[in-house]
Amino acid sequence: MADDLTGSGQGEATTKAAPGTTAEESSGGGRNFSLAMIAGKYGLLIFFGAVLIAFSLLRPNTFPTGENAEAILTLAAPSLIMAVGLTVVLVMQDFDLSFGAMIGLAGGAVTTFIVTNHMGWALAIVLVLLMGAAAGLANGFMVSYLGGNSFIITLAMGTVLTGVEFALTHQATIYSGFPATFLKIGQGTFLGLNNQIWIAFVAAVLMWALLDRTELGRYMYAIGGNQEAARLSGIRVKAFRVIGFIIVGVAAAAVGILLIALSSSYSPNGGATYLLPAFAAVFLGAAVFRPGEFNVPGTVVGVLFLGVIQTGLVMLNFETYVINLVQGGILIAAVLVSRLGAKVA
Amino acid sequence: MTGPEKGLRIEARGLIKHYPGVLALNKADLTVEAGSIHGLLGKNGAGKSTIIKVLAGVIQPDGGEIKIDGEPTEIHSPHAAGELGFAFAHQELTDVPNLTVGENVLLGLGYPTTGGAFVRKRALRRKAAEVLDRLEAGIDPGAPLASLSIAQRRMVVIARGLAADARLFVLDEPTASLTDSEIDHLDRTLKSLRDQGVAILYVSHRLDEIFAMTDQVTVMLDGAAVHHGKTADLDKAKLIELITGSVIAVEKRIPHTTPAAAPNLMEVKGMTIPGIVNNVSFELKEGEMLGLAGLVGAGRTELMRAIFGADRAASGEVLMRGKKMRIRSPREGLKAGIVLLPEDRKNQGGVLDFSVRKNMTLPSLSKFRVVGPAPFPSERREKKAAKDLVGRLSIKVANVEHPTRYLSGGNQQKVVLAKWLDSGADVFIFDEPTQGIDVEGKEEVYQLMTALADQGKGVIFVSSEFNELTGTCSRILVMREGELVGQFEGVDISEGELVDACYSHEAEPLAAS
Repeated sequence: MADDLTGSGQGEATTKAAPGTTAEESSGGGRNFSLAMIAGKYGLLIFFGAVLIAFSLLRPNTFPTGENAEAILTLAAPSLIMAVGLTVVLVMQDFDLSFGAMIGLAGGAVTTFIVTNHMGWALAIVLVLLMGAAAGLANGFMVSYLGGNSFIITLAMGTVLTGVEFALTHQATIYSGFPATFLKIGQGTFLGLNNQIWIAFVAAVLMWALLDRTELGRYMYAIGGNQEAARLSGIRVKAFRVIGFIIVGVAAAAVGILLIALSSSYSPNGGATYLLPAFAAVFLGAAVFRPGEFNVPGTVVGVLFLGVIQTGLVMLNFETYVINLVQGGILIAAVLVSRLGAKVA
Repeated sequence: MTGPEKGLRIEARGLIKHYPGVLALNKADLTVEAGSIHGLLGKNGAGKSTIIKVLAGVIQPDGGEIKIDGEPTEIHSPHAAGELGFAFAHQELTDVPNLTVGENVLLGLGYPTTGGAFVRKRALRRKAAEVLDRLEAGIDPGAPLASLSIAQRRMVVIARGLAADARLFVLDEPTASLTDSEIDHLDRTLKSLRDQGVAILYVSHRLDEIFAMTDQVTVMLDGAAVHHGKTADLDKAKLIELITGSVIAVEKRIPHTTPAAAPNLMEVKGMTIPGIVNNVSFELKEGEMLGLAGLVGAGRTELMRAIFGADRAASGEVLMRGKKMRIRSPREGLKAGIVLLPEDRKNQGGVLDFSVRKNMTLPSLSKFRVVGPAPFPSERREKKAAKDLVGRLSIKVANVEHPTRYLSGGNQQKVVLAKWLDSGADVFIFDEPTQGIDVEGKEEVYQLMTALADQGKGVIFVSSEFNELTGTCSRILVMREGELVGQFEGVDISEGELVDACYSHEAEPLAAS
């Protein structure tokens, strides 16, 4: 109720601003406005900068090096692919909790296809990406067309996908039999940087272009902002929500493949650990640039930030529990800050 | 239940409230006393809602003071306002639909319990019934709130204030979407509350109501109170002058007329939604402005949504220029050349967090591509079109990149209209387009609708304010309980005729339960 009231009040205020506002009034209000705006928009970036400086001062020989930067980026690459994909569904106010399991299934499937079935690696990759798309389609259809709650549907779908993974691999750990060309995808370099960094970069640029530069992206934001208004404007709400789930499915499949190629090994249910960090990064990202709105540039910052914190804390020889406490605390703080920023803006 | 205390007097003096870039309250004064119904008027943006929010403890003023019975008082929070005995019925319903009527009435006031934990349902119902009886609302306290009409739900909100022994009732546009008989009932209720010594602050854009109901008025303009006095000392022309801050001639509107030879544009045949709309047929001519009157719950909104494809009708068909259309979704409705400006502007009209520009281009985004068929919208071209629309509809917004949320109701409505203006649609359905819009804004909306009809579009104007229908339409259909029960033609349709048609002899809308 209070929010509602505040909203309409500002509505009143704005109407009045147009015809006759004196310079004095607007500059007086404007100052508070812009300070709060800067804090809301760039607070996380400033904090990020401070963290970078702090780690650099504490570990001057190991942290601020090109080598370390590449290590952090390589570590962050799969998370980034996942997080930018996830951003798309979150923009439409849908939820996908199945992608962790999809990452695991993709790893298991690509391993089985290549190692057990001796399939060509290119074909295996295409098939696994299609599996991701199919899982996303199933999620999307059940949520969007059949009206299932996305939280529960995708949670259940995650269990199903893990079941399929175990059926394929019999939960065996596999660490041989991958062709070198396949492993190169995860381990090779291009222009001096690990391939994964390039793949993540391309994924981020694609998702940014989709959401911020295409008609479809505008429609997706409209669906997230007001689904009924979007529908009455003639937007294909149901179809576009399905597309969101498909994007997450394909992103998860790609990450699953990359992780296998990176580590040259498969271990069962390896994707679960990627679920929550991806959400964390996207929500962190909603605290930057466009407070209160999920956005791809923000997501990129969120992923890098989490990666830096993780690496930095490890370098400082903190114990795992400290890393957990710090990461959790930062996420809570960032989400609250973004709420604040959204209110001010 | 003890009666309200006598002699409450609330004086706000010199209230100042800054919002970013705007002075929402500029030394505003307001005095409200027990035993009086006090009208608060002003254009959208004049500061009415802001002053109410100060009283409600939702916002704190930057300057000025509030005295309650002579004591300077700060209202820190909505809770503090409640303790002072202030009750608020906002324009938007703030009740809980999934609870029962009784649970809503006593919400937050402590339910009767066994052992402090288990709610005694029967006692709760009895307690709520006592309050409801005082309102003569005839509402069953055990009924689920969701089953009530909007008018009944407003009564429940008022009952909640009564149950809390409120000394001050603030009603913000309480009659929005109520019909005349429901307004009558509200009028009687408020007057009886007044006579029991309650202070009532009544915000409305409907001048007839202000004259019928209030004892005193305060008129606000640009954040300050520009007039305070007895209602009886004013007439309509004077009041409008005070509200607008300038002299506007109050002319009798001349309804739009359609050339007699105009061909049929749209035909609706046998539209039926079980239990809501029953076998409705009518036609709409090119360049016609057709009014649709009826009580809330008569099925008007549902009929319009079915024609547009927002909801599915069980049976019935829509013909455009004699050709049968398949309309099963808003997409197909738009394709057939029909647009709907929904009644619920906030929840259905636009994406409030979107900028004015993004809202305006949403349904026609593909017309603003950078090059060829690539689906990349050109922000520059969108901006140009949005600026053009802002000018054409005289929308008050400094920058088309501002979020639509921060515009006043009238300007939001214009943004919603703007997105369809160049869509090439043939039929424009306006469902309660002037709800919550001030006098000037309403006039502008009428002019926009009339202009569309002048261009040869078909316009359907759904309204519960019959005087705006009689002032703009030369053919008006009346719906009652899902059926078309009357059709009036000519430039001099009277409101009385419409009202009569809306009520069957046994109708008693508020007593239903």
